[in-house]
Amino acid sequence: MIESGFDRRDFLKVLGWGGTAVALSGCGNTSVQDGKETVVSYVEASDYMIPGVSVRFNSTCTQCEAGCSINGRVREGRVLKLEGNPDSDINRGKMCGLGQAGVQHHYNPDRLKEPMLLNGDQSQSVSWEAALKLINDKLQGVSGDQIAFLTGTVSGHVKALLGNFMESVGSKHHFAYEALSSAVLRAANKKSYGVEMPRYSLDKAKVVVSFGADFLGAWVSPVHFSQQYSRFRKGVDGQRGVLVQIESKMTLTGANADRWLAIRPGTEGVLALGLINALGAAGLSLPAEVAAEVKAYDKARVSKETGVAVGHIDKLVALLRTRTPSLVLAGNGPDGFAQGSENVAAINLLNQVLGNVGKTVEAPVSAPFAQLQATNGDSASLYKLNEGMARGQYKVLFACGTNPVFSAPASLKVAENIKRVGFKVAFAHYLDETAQQADLVLPLDSSLEDWGTHIVAYQPGEAHIGIQQPLMEKLHANTRGAGDILLALLKSRRAEEYKAFEDYYAYLRAAVLQNKAALGGGALDDEGFWEQTLSKGLIRVAGSSAALSTSTVVAAVPVATAENPDYPLTLIPGITPNLRDGRYANQPWLQESPDPLTTIVWDSWVEIHPKKAAELGIAEGDIVEVISRTGSIKAQAYLFPGIHPEAVSVPLGRGQNWGRYAKGFGVNPFQILDPVFDKQTGELALNDTRVKIKKSGKRVIVIKDEGAAGGKQMGKKIAVRASTDEVDLSKEV
Amino acid sequence: MYRFIRFSTLLVGLFIAIQGYAAEAPLTTADDLGPAVEQPIEFPHNRHAGKHDPSDPSKGGMEIDCQYCHTYARRSSIAGIPPLQKCVGCHNNIESVKDKPRIKKLFEAWEAKKPIQWKKVHDLPDFVRFNHERHIKRFVEQQGHTSQEACGYCHGDVKNMTVARRQKSLSMGWCASCHEKAHTVAASGVDVGKQAYWYTFQKPATTAKVPEDIKAKGPNDCWQCHK
Repeated sequence: MIESGFDRRDFLKVLGWGGTAVALSGCGNTSVQDGKETVVSYVEASDYMIPGVSVRFNSTCTQCEAGCSINGRVREGRVLKLEGNPDSDINRGKMCGLGQAGVQHHYNPDRLKEPMLLNGDQSQSVSWEAALKLINDKLQGVSGDQIAFLTGTVSGHVKALLGNFMESVGSKHHFAYEALSSAVLRAANKKSYGVEMPRYSLDKAKVVVSFGADFLGAWVSPVHFSQQYSRFRKGVDGQRGVLVQIESKMTLTGANADRWLAIRPGTEGVLALGLINALGAAGLSLPAEVAAEVKAYDKARVSKETGVAVGHIDKLVALLRTRTPSLVLAGNGPDGFAQGSENVAAINLLNQVLGNVGKTVEAPVSAPFAQLQATNGDSASLYKLNEGMARGQYKVLFACGTNPVFSAPASLKVAENIKRVGFKVAFAHYLDETAQQADLVLPLDSSLEDWGTHIVAYQPGEAHIGIQQPLMEKLHANTRGAGDILLALLKSRRAEEYKAFEDYYAYLRAAVLQNKAALGGGALDDEGFWEQTLSKGLIRVAGSSAALSTSTVVAAVPVATAENPDYPLTLIPGITPNLRDGRYANQPWLQESPDPLTTIVWDSWVEIHPKKAAELGIAEGDIVEVISRTGSIKAQAYLFPGIHPEAVSVPLGRGQNWGRYAKGFGVNPFQILDPVFDKQTGELALNDTRVKIKKSGKRVIVIKDEGAAGGKQMGKKIAVRASTDEVDLSKEV
Repeated sequence: MYRFIRFSTLLVGLFIAIQGYAAEAPLTTADDLGPAVEQPIEFPHNRHAGKHDPSDPSKGGMEIDCQYCHTYARRSSIAGIPPLQKCVGCHNNIESVKDKPRIKKLFEAWEAKKPIQWKKVHDLPDFVRFNHERHIKRFVEQQGHTSQEACGYCHGDVKNMTVARRQKSLSMGWCASCHEKAHTVAASGVDVGKQAYWYTFQKPATTAKVPEDIKAKGPNDCWQCHK
């Protein structure tokens, strides 16, 4: 919604005249600064530190939960560029745009630099000693039940320290919260396969049917899956893999699919059961109890409920029958409904009857050391905490690296409930919505300045422990790592136990070396093993492989969402590869890289199907109001054929009230989500919000990279086009 | 009308700003000398690198090779400034000058572990990439010139200076003037005088007179320096 009187013609004029002016007056003009610029030498330099020559260090990326191993280029003590570490089984030397932007998190001008006391709008810098003393004072005389600690997904030694700290204060209230989590998928997988996260092998499948799993964009471990995908496309036995994507809102993966099917929101489970029934009819042998369960899902009914044509169902069945093994994935589409667990269970059942379990759905390798395993964040834990806060149960709340005030629906009143907690401490990089509510804000090191270990939830190869090490000195002298803060708090409670560790680094090093033999370093001395660990940036550990259960679990029948004439549309919050849940919004590269599907930059938009838009009289650029039962947001309309006509989509991750690159750009759809929860897991049903659309009467020019014609060929034959309906994939490829 | 005023204000402003910037920029002086630069410590290059005086060792120099301190020049495109550690390494053992104000300053910085804020004497525009390493490799290691001679091509007679001062213009024309001196190269691109390795990028045209020996014109690819 950027408005300006400066149009294209003026811009070109200024550019032309400005260029001439520079050419005329710029002769002889240089940037030479003899005698003005300072040149500072090292005080002490190691042999490898040569000005102008860069050195590389391996570390672990913390921009998302995939935990790719990274390789940072450092010159003159400054980290310049990140690449992937080729040794890692997760990303094999590759990296995504989100990870690349990690340097902008590190060098961000809005990072917090001093511990601060907040009181309303007033803020006051305090020393670390005073801050830690204040925390210890506030913990005095408070029982364990009145202390809560909120984090995101956490693993490794910082998790162990956190556990010890919670034990030392006698509290069991650690809540791991992620607004966008795969908790529903994990719970359903546990029931279907006996493990929370099996290994998915796209590269062994000849057909992949993905129900909303954006594995090339933002699902689980996108860099890893992108590489599997390229092998899958090269094919097994000379057969190029076929990808069918079924979703209500097109994702990056959907745009890459051979066939993209729009499905009525929330009916993915119905389609999965319908496919099982149709596969049975086409000759696939089904277990008797499954056959009985899916009998009711005949093609006509399924087609009516899901909006997927019978012809498409037939083609899909033919494809799955002729090409085995296949792989069926359940992603962020089907799991975001009140019946999310049932949807995922039905999709998993499809994998089982197709015989994919053990072939393309493989047993995961889990790392030893249970105390270091990831505690996966989910949204249900926040709501549990929120209830406690509403009751006034908590006197002290710690929040670390998570922003629930931004990412929880407004109707849950997290911001108000936080106020009921007596003393709030936020460990934060920025003064974000949650940190603004805190009484004490502690500035964290960036991930390129801090030590850490990470065991990611999705281990695609051998079990890895990712080592995070500082790539450069701290930019700001007064920031600390979360591990250091926890250690300092522990020292004031259990001085004897922790006195040997000067800082978190010392703790980490001692803890790793203590298990040297188990970590495969038995033959080396301590120093040698530690050096090897740091230079590799990861430790491979002999993991144990869990067995998958192949017994079919018959899913209960998913219930379709009830129609509501007042709110006729379903809001599907878009999870974009760039911005995800919005914690990265203050990294300008991510704001300015065009959304892969709409090419829009620096703003939010409302995706509407062109048919629906015509019905409502909406054109591209119209400012429309998206109204749910609990709130409304306004954004520019973008007509997009890649969305189901009964749904609209607004991307997540924008609409912050802080940060020079985030504030004022776009809106936050988290705020208007209906408080609907998945019945089995208690997770927020992200896609189950009913909305209506109202035109506001204003219209803007949508800022996007895509051509003015919206990708149309304007009558010229540039590329031959055929609709996917005209192609029978089972014969074509 | 309103639009016209706004537009012309913008353009006039743009011209003035650029003119002002251009006028302020230092131009090379007639004698090619750079400005005299005041340094935090008046470093006596002559004492370190100057000619040894056997009759009165306390007056003359010590003939230390440039590369003994400026070690980065042969290993990197940037010559850099020696780390403080290097100065202290020797001066720790030179008791006779420890009470001199400059050396006191040096040890103060060392004890505080604070780097010295030297002023840059030789600066090139940001769009020029000069590589020290290549020049040292060629003139010192391949052709056996002494460091003082090779470094002196561009930096002047530093052994007779206290703090360094720019002696040459370091303009593009000045660089090219050296590169254009008779560098004999075969038309095939094979070097004759163990020189002019840049011809692998673009072969020079053969002259009709001496088909195998031609006068090199310096690196004729802009990208060599402007990358």
